[in-house]
Amino acid sequence: MFFIPGQVIAFLTFPGVIVHEAAHLFFCKLFKLKVFNVCFFRFGNPAGFVIHENSENFTAQFFVSMGPFVVNTVLCVVFCTAAFLPVWELKVNDPLAYFFYWLGLSIGMHAFPSTTDLSHLWKAAPALAKKGNLLAIVSLPLSGVLVVLNYGRVIWADLGYGIAVGVLGPLAIFRAFARM
Amino acid sequence: MSQVACCECSQSISSGEAYELNGKVYCAPCARTAAERAKAAGQPISVTRYVDKSLCARCSTYIGEGGEVAVGNARLCVACSELVKDWPYPQWLKLSLAGFLLLLVFALIHGRKYFQAGKDLYRGEQLIEKGEYQQALPYLKATMKLAPNSDKGALLTAKAALLSGDVLTAAHVLEGHNNGRFENSDKPDFQEVKRLWDNANAAMDKLQIAAKLEEQDGKEVEAAKLAHEAAAIYPRFPHLDILLDQYDEGVAFAKKDYDTFLALAEKDWNLLPASGSAAMISSALACEYAVTGNATYRQRSEEMLAKAKELAKGDKESLDRLAEFEKRNTYRLETRQIITKSEYDRKFPNPKNSGN
Repeated sequence: MFFIPGQVIAFLTFPGVIVHEAAHLFFCKLFKLKVFNVCFFRFGNPAGFVIHENSENFTAQFFVSMGPFVVNTVLCVVFCTAAFLPVWELKVNDPLAYFFYWLGLSIGMHAFPSTTDLSHLWKAAPALAKKGNLLAIVSLPLSGVLVVLNYGRVIWADLGYGIAVGVLGPLAIFRAFARM
Repeated sequence: MSQVACCECSQSISSGEAYELNGKVYCAPCARTAAERAKAAGQPISVTRYVDKSLCARCSTYIGEGGEVAVGNARLCVACSELVKDWPYPQWLKLSLAGFLLLLVFALIHGRKYFQAGKDLYRGEQLIEKGEYQQALPYLKATMKLAPNSDKGALLTAKAALLSGDVLTAAHVLEGHNNGRFENSDKPDFQEVKRLWDNANAAMDKLQIAAKLEEQDGKEVEAAKLAHEAAAIYPRFPHLDILLDQYDEGVAFAKKDYDTFLALAEKDWNLLPASGSAAMISSALACEYAVTGNATYRQRSEEMLAKAKELAKGDKESLDRLAEFEKRNTYRLETRQIITKSEYDRKFPNPKNSGN
């Protein structure tokens, strides 16, 4: 395992940071939450942020926290799907395909919500889950796993997630389409 | 930044450095002492940063008693208040999003050809799994056109080609792939293709030797043995059964077993009605005529030769071969003497002579 400063990683994968924060902002606006400050990218820690008011509405909390996770994951799959076959299966030296793969992986690497976002969900979810709130039920194991993965960033869990999504997602899509 | 006075030490401090505890304003040291005191007295402790309600919490503009409550005690000026309510997407982000969507569409369009090649590869693989090697080949060949460096594609194409007897395609694919190099030669897929390839080559070597032996008188049995060994190693050459029959016909001819010669020739004719197999029947019938003197054999031999010529129409090489064969066959029919091609060539030297 080797260490690369987070700022360098963020710089190399900046599209993912921007997409993550843009998705945060989008869901904040969707749920009409007040936004106090936004930084889409900077050389610092964190590389980007959206400071917004906390909501009492769990649905809003869920989507604001998990929105970037879903958006980044989906975009990672889409871009990697366009590049998966030439890069992995066909071994074609197509620079565009490698560019799309870099873009997809960069976006996938920044899918994890921040620990702060997850802790809000983690606190609010149990009571609502007991009342049968579906989002709360889903968010409990999901945020648990994501908290662990967030800590796993020191051992490249974020890159691992990006690669897993960028390989398995396109593979599943391809297999499904190829059977048609 | 405005100034406030600490309620404990009365020192004037900047509002940014002040703290609030139970509704009172403290400097940092006094806030700590007050918090400890409250804790000892069992009172609730909630130390927060002092918020100067006369200043906008975002831009620090003086708003006095005006402004709007944004969150908690924080007040914002009208402009900031509008901003936080509906934070606008920056122009560059909108443009980037448009560019991003275009890029996404382009990525998918650009990837379409790879998708088709991948789909062909997948179909080819499925057909190989079903044992439909010949049907798999066109799909795999199409993939290899776009991706000649794909290990998987090359191995699957070579496998389908070798298992359908198309050694030439297998050679073309394997030798054209990274100069014959593969990333992981320990993989079972590679080992399987290598085994097939080695067998095909060993079989071809044996068949080449067999072909040379067949041209020599008295080597028919050895040639047929080698041909059968080749077939045992690699039984997938096209029309191998006919080829083996032809070697066996040579053996039957050498052993003067003309009934077997005729039976094998007729079997091949039924399998592949072509100029060559018709000529072979004609030859076998001529032998039967030479031995028995039965005119029916002679008539049938001539009929089959005519059929052979009919089938060879337009094929100069076959017609030349038939012309040479016709002379030998006519000699056999006229003299009722059965001699080998070598014997005939020695008797009637002609550099163009070839065939059985």
